Amino acid sequence: MSEIELVKNMISITIDGKEYKAKEGEYILNAARANDIFIPAICYLTRCSPTLACRICLVEADGKQVYSCNARVKEGMEIVTTTPNILEERRAIMEVYDVNHPLQCGVCDQSGECELQNYTLELAVDSQSYSIPDTKRETKNWSSVLHYDAGLCIVCERCTTVCKDMIGDSAIKTTKRGGSALDKSLKGSMPKDAYAMWNKLQKSIIAPSNGTEHTNCSDCGECIAVCPVGALVSRDFQYTTNAWDLKKIPATCAHCSSGCQIYYETKPTSISDRREKIYRVTNEWNYVSLCGAGRFGYDFENREVKKDKEAFKRAIEAFKKAKVINFTSVITNEEALMLQTLKEKLGVKLINREARAFQIFLDFYKQYSGKSLYSLDFKEIMASDFVISLGTSLRNDNPNARYAFNNVQKMNKGAGLYFHPVGDTLVPTFGRNILTFAHKVGHEEAVLLLLIELFSNKDELPDIVKEQLDREKLVELLGGDSKFEASFSKIMKKKEKFSLIVGEDLYFHPKAKNIVKLITILEKTSPIKVAMIPPKTNSLGVALICDLDDEAKGYTIGYNALGDFKFSALGDGDLDAPAMNQQEGTLTNMHKRVTPTNVALEYNGYTLHDIVKELLNIPTKYTIDWTPKLPINKGFKSIDFDSLPNGYSNDGTENRGYLLTEITSEAKEIDVDKFDENIALDGDIAYRCNPQRQFSDFTNKAHQIFEEFALYASPKRAEALGKRVVVEFDSGNLELDVKIDERMDGDIVAVPDFKSDKNIYELFGASRYQKVIIREV
Amino acid sequence: MDATMLPEVTAVGVIIKAILILAIISAIAGFGTYIERKVLAFMQRRLGPQHVGPYGLLQLAADGIKLFTKEDIIPQHANRLIFAVAPAITAATAFIALGAVPVFPDFTIPLVDVYVPSIASDVNVGILFVLGMMAAGLYGPLLAGMAQSNKWGLLGSARTAIQFLSYEVVTGLSLLAPIMLVGSLSFVDFNNYQSDGTWLVVYQPVAFILFLIAGYAETNRTPFDLLEHEAEIVSGYVTEYSGMRWGMFFIGEYANMITIGIIASIVFLGGYNDWWIFPGWIMILAKIAFSFFFMLWVRAAWPHVRPDQLMWLCWKVLMPLAVINVVITGIVMMAG
Amino acid sequence: MGLEKFKDRNIGTQNYKKLDLTHPPKSGWDRFKQVVSRTFKPELCIGLWVTLREMINALFRGKMHTTQYPLEKLPISPRYRAIHEMLRLLESGHYRCIGCGLCEKICISNCISMETRYDENQRKEVSEYTINFGRCIFCGYCAEVCPELAIVHGGRYETASEQRASFSLFEDMLTPIDKLNLQKEYQGFGAISPNADDNIKKTPLAY
Repeated sequence: MSEIELVKNMISITIDGKEYKAKEGEYILNAARANDIFIPAICYLTRCSPTLACRICLVEADGKQVYSCNARVKEGMEIVTTTPNILEERRAIMEVYDVNHPLQCGVCDQSGECELQNYTLELAVDSQSYSIPDTKRETKNWSSVLHYDAGLCIVCERCTTVCKDMIGDSAIKTTKRGGSALDKSLKGSMPKDAYAMWNKLQKSIIAPSNGTEHTNCSDCGECIAVCPVGALVSRDFQYTTNAWDLKKIPATCAHCSSGCQIYYETKPTSISDRREKIYRVTNEWNYVSLCGAGRFGYDFENREVKKDKEAFKRAIEAFKKAKVINFTSVITNEEALMLQTLKEKLGVKLINREARAFQIFLDFYKQYSGKSLYSLDFKEIMASDFVISLGTSLRNDNPNARYAFNNVQKMNKGAGLYFHPVGDTLVPTFGRNILTFAHKVGHEEAVLLLLIELFSNKDELPDIVKEQLDREKLVELLGGDSKFEASFSKIMKKKEKFSLIVGEDLYFHPKAKNIVKLITILEKTSPIKVAMIPPKTNSLGVALICDLDDEAKGYTIGYNALGDFKFSALGDGDLDAPAMNQQEGTLTNMHKRVTPTNVALEYNGYTLHDIVKELLNIPTKYTIDWTPKLPINKGFKSIDFDSLPNGYSNDGTENRGYLLTEITSEAKEIDVDKFDENIALDGDIAYRCNPQRQFSDFTNKAHQIFEEFALYASPKRAEALGKRVVVEFDSGNLELDVKIDERMDGDIVAVPDFKSDKNIYELFGASRYQKVIIREV
Repeated sequence: MDATMLPEVTAVGVIIKAILILAIISAIAGFGTYIERKVLAFMQRRLGPQHVGPYGLLQLAADGIKLFTKEDIIPQHANRLIFAVAPAITAATAFIALGAVPVFPDFTIPLVDVYVPSIASDVNVGILFVLGMMAAGLYGPLLAGMAQSNKWGLLGSARTAIQFLSYEVVTGLSLLAPIMLVGSLSFVDFNNYQSDGTWLVVYQPVAFILFLIAGYAETNRTPFDLLEHEAEIVSGYVTEYSGMRWGMFFIGEYANMITIGIIASIVFLGGYNDWWIFPGWIMILAKIAFSFFFMLWVRAAWPHVRPDQLMWLCWKVLMPLAVINVVITGIVMMAG
Repeated sequence: MGLEKFKDRNIGTQNYKKLDLTHPPKSGWDRFKQVVSRTFKPELCIGLWVTLREMINALFRGKMHTTQYPLEKLPISPRYRAIHEMLRLLESGHYRCIGCGLCEKICISNCISMETRYDENQRKEVSEYTINFGRCIFCGYCAEVCPELAIVHGGRYETASEQRASFSLFEDMLTPIDKLNLQKEYQGFGAISPNADDNIKKTPLAY
């Protein structure tokens, strides 16, 4: 939605006698929050559907009592946030919440940031009018990270709501508590909404939705974040500290290209060790949702580093004689700029495979569309109502893309198309209007042709494309069923905004150039807008800043990667580097936003900045002195690091860093190649894909991330493969354990790439799929 | 005088006596500090020194060791020579004064049959000599205060000058009346004058009181210890002193206290004459001891006076009283 | 408020009484008379008698005041705020501290530090607790804020030690389990000390 559209859709409402502007069709609660007006609400989550569990957000709109979380504003609406009756209801609700809530604030982890505490005080509950016999509620460990204390739970259902509407796992649900029934006489004597709330509360409790004791989910921990009380706590964090002892450090998550806003919360390690330690990661959960890697993979810092002068000298020597610098995308924009400067000044070659593939893809896109950046960011995808995913394992590649795909289904009555060779059993559960295609590897062009056929205005198409548009044949080729026509027309009803997510498969596609051409045509001739998932953390930034090389030979420096001289934040290098939670700088995320990240933990060693300073004699003092020097012609802005904002405003506006500027240029003539269906791969295929919470060596270092470096396969395939296998690639072999990924389907196996020393990119070469021979050991 | 009192024996005796005076008096002076602390403590219902030796008796040894081993500091801008000599003046004059004072009755050492007059030197102007020596003692504090380049010290020495000089007048005048009665300046004669058992204090009560007051002032004792009044001038003339130099001032002070006690005993309180069943040497020791105790007692009971009150008392009260006392004594003598 | 108004302000009716003090002498003769009268009044002797009497009291009537401190100690008030004690539950003997961290938070000299963890009984367990007595100012806030009456001040005021650590760890402050029966309940702040009656005395300055 552009600015002009926003202004057009503004209506005026009156809250407590004052006039305010609000977006049309917004919930009263959100409109009030956007205007900095406080309405108490416990169960509502900004980007999820209203649950109406707490009923405390009662307001009076045009004289009628409504729940502000699910009543929408209308032009000229008059809203009163407090009336004597509403206050009575709210107080009764808080009293009911306090009934049988254990008085263990002294040890509760939520104490100090507990919404039950806050609202009990806010509504001045100083006496209790209600009582009921308590039921024993057991404390349970739901998974390796989730700890649920049912006794503390107030069944606001925020956890189940976020799990369903945002995460898409739907791993938890409300279930029967078995508590005593309410005294019927209360129905007349106590406030109506409080009674209804209590009646429901007394009957329910939260439990894993698969009927077992344990959740089957991606362990993202978002339920922990949204829990208003101490019922859901991470097992690792439980009882280790109090909320008020932690220092919040605003940062950007460094694990994938989502670049989520996070806070590293630190405190001294122990009584004897006063160095800061990260105790947990929290987020602004109303505006951003984290994945398991972001929430639990925080202790990847490079510990106990001192300034090793000898090693530094050797590093300078190594850089002087280096021909190649090999690096990953887990690097700040400033460092990328330093490497680019080294290339310009010293003539070294820069190697970064994932960013290079993306860079080429972006370059093609720029050539044929005339735009330096893809059209949509993922917020805009969340606002669309028809979302298509192509060339990405949505569940594994990028959690935020998956959350967006899911959120569209849940919140916008949306629909979706999911094209991927590796079958996925989770995506179809996101909504009823999702069609999935497990097409053959290499048939991505056919998908785009189908999309053009389905959505484009045929008149505008070049002839060579038109020739290939045979809907029935394409659907059949891509593995669609015979009922496609019917189901497609069903899901297309009342859809207005269309978005396409494309991912890493396409960047590493042999026909990437032709794919870009088709995407450009699709964008030009249809309402579909495209968003791309950069392969790794800062791949977008690196692709924009660095002039990367394809191949290079000679003495190599590996920055967090393989090389003759290793400059590494993993603690195994020839010279130590700071990890991302020990650095300040900016990251460019997939939302095309340059976001700042701050130092959470002390680092006493040398940084890339020290090396570059020594080599090039540049008079900068800190890494962040490079922030305003980021290339403006690539869309960056010349803003000092310290003046970059980092937060959200009450209406959900993201004020983190700045958005990249889109640079337009002359578009090239498009000449599409003819699609050849014979390029499809046959036989055993390995797919380069990480398990859900693993992204890099850094997530692997974190103690709460357990996913192993193994071969992942669907349950059926895993059974057939056995326990441990050798995977034979053209360029080498790999011996791996076989792990079951219950949400995978089909025969393609996934080989992770998060360990840089395994050199997986070398094995896969220029493609994400490889024909392999798999033998059991 | 016996025939055994050969000149060479007398000479050796004088040296022995001088050494004895120096040793015994300085030891007693040190012991006096212990007694002072104990007595003051008891009067305040405290225990006083308690831990060094039985009843804290060895406290004086501890203090001695401390004073001897303490660092001797001479301030940067002090006049080093005078600063170093000043304590010696105080100590020396105090001991020299004792040379002309008889303490015991003369006695004969048994077996060797040596007659010993218990005075180092029976000067015929004994009283004048003693008073003169005590007056010369004022150079100790005076020079010390002026040499140390310290304003408190300077104030202390200024007070020394006025206090000691002023009260010298009172001491002299108060003793003048007894001298007139006795007709001699020798202490032995004073003693012998009272051998009939009638103490001079009976004839001269006013002179006795005036002498005591002036004596306290000259020995720098409460209520007249203005020279080193710590509430006003830190430590007065001893502000910059430490270690043994400081110690010498105080040996001098305590020796002077003993001297005053001896003079008072001999001149006014019957000297070393036997009394009832008590031999003379016990009597004189008792008198000196009481006199010393009285100084401590006064210190425990009475407050300081101000410098101006001190001067006022001296010149407007004590001196006229002393003169009147001399005049009356003279008239009575002429009449008698 | 100006000074005039200040002087004119209504201060109500006062009932001061003026003492009938003798006036200072005006003429020289008056002054002389004063000196004479003071000289022959035995005022000075009263002072001498008082000191002598106290000496006799001290030496012979057992009224010596001195407490020979390291050998003898005076009983201190139960409300005295010296080295902290960590109390135990009288029934179970388990320490009372629940690890809520309020003492750590309220400590104005930031000298309390603790470590807690999730124990096998699903409870919060205090694994380490320490007070830096080099910094503690014994303000008593920790004891005041403690919801469990677990941390209280004790009477151990002799805090000189070769090592600070000697009395700053949890176990050192905790009531020894074999002395649980001697553990005194804390009366709370502002409570009258049990020996309050003994402390009421006639002013000792009878003279």
